[in-house]
Amino acid sequence: MQHLDRDRLVFLALGESEAADGESTHLRACGHCRGELETLRHVAGLGAGTQGLTDLPDPPEHLWQGIVAEIRAAEELPTLNGRRPAQPGDAADRPAAANRSRPGRRWPRWASTAVTATAAAVIGVAGTAVVLGAGGDEPTPQPTVLASAPLAAFGSTPKDASGDARVLGDNQLHLHVANLPNVPGYYEVWLIDPKTMEMLSVGTLSNGSGDALLPIPSNVDLRTYSVVDVSAEQYDNKPAHSGDSLLRGTLTG
Amino acid sequence: MTAARQGPEPPADDDLAVRFRDGDEAALKEAYDRFGRAVLHLATTTLVNRTDAEDVTQATFVAAWLGRETFDPAKGSLIGWLLGIGRRKVVDRIRAAARETRVVETVKQLPEPVDTGPDPDTVVDRLVVADELARLPDEQRRMLELAFYDDLTHQQISTVTGVPLGTVKSHIRRGMQSLKRRWEVDGAAPGPRPAGLSGAR
Repeated sequence: MQHLDRDRLVFLALGESEAADGESTHLRACGHCRGELETLRHVAGLGAGTQGLTDLPDPPEHLWQGIVAEIRAAEELPTLNGRRPAQPGDAADRPAAANRSRPGRRWPRWASTAVTATAAAVIGVAGTAVVLGAGGDEPTPQPTVLASAPLAAFGSTPKDASGDARVLGDNQLHLHVANLPNVPGYYEVWLIDPKTMEMLSVGTLSNGSGDALLPIPSNVDLRTYSVVDVSAEQYDNKPAHSGDSLLRGTLTG
Repeated sequence: MTAARQGPEPPADDDLAVRFRDGDEAALKEAYDRFGRAVLHLATTTLVNRTDAEDVTQATFVAAWLGRETFDPAKGSLIGWLLGIGRRKVVDRIRAAARETRVVETVKQLPEPVDTGPDPDTVVDRLVVADELARLPDEQRRMLELAFYDDLTHQQISTVTGVPLGTVKSHIRRGMQSLKRRWEVDGAAPGPRPAGLSGAR
């Protein structure tokens, strides 16, 4: 069977000419040529829809800064870890890690050890939950901080809103917030996977300024859920994130 | 070792795609400067909320950079790959919003529909075709723009431009074949679709 000429199909697709009788007969019988014609028509339709697409507006400046900040947090840490001076406990806790150079590793060491380090940390730091801000008679041991994140005003949140998040060695998230805008409902704290935007709720806050200690489920992989987010939520019986983020920051070790 | 190339050749993107894959940070900035507008356009035209659109754009470039080892320049262009990541993130957002809407609607009636934008696949396809159009030789692009945007016949294009009719036809033929090949490589649903199913997406 003699197929239609490819160039001829282009002209038919563009409506430049009508199919002659023989061509129509062939197109009815030949799925291949019909498919080609449909494809070319589709592409021509897309082409007609491209007007203005070469002159799109530039993204806002903060978008690039957000990309860099998120990537820095995820990527640069192995280097920082490699350079940082030895700290008490480092060598004893992770003798292998110090000698193991793994180029191309993208995730901070704290992330991979956050969960396994927990057991050791609990032994070393007894009763951490009551430690924060407590001025007891005896000097209380400081909790091990595995990672931390400065939290900055997100989106249209007033810029004086701020906070800090610290992952403590006993699977707790210490959250300090200040100047959160008043909301009709309450604040909720989330851990987010920036790659998929999947998230889990860690707990809620009732005050726009102050401290909270929230338990983190022990099976959470902080390599993945590296972003701490504080959202404004309504009392609407809706468990999902409202989409209204007030503060955000990325955990670094 | 790279596999032998098969099928239509992806556009020669100088060496940006290769440098991006190899982790050159300057290539990330360059890719963002060149393609950030297209990814943001995809997100803003398909998502209702501007903040969501910017989040998706940011997440797309972060995910692309962190996952750059999975990008194979031999299989498609960098912009096609980026738009593919962006498209998946957009679709996830639309689905999540639809789920939330269903939940909300059981509590209170929300008149506002969630998904008002055009189909993400179509937006990706248009951006890919626009990118290819911009790469065509000037004459081919000019002829196609007159045919697409101004709906001129080949004879009219010849009259307007003073280019002989035969030359107009040959520019348009070549240009259309390039657009088609590129769409088949980088489009949202690549490959020729079965006859009779066009527009079914």
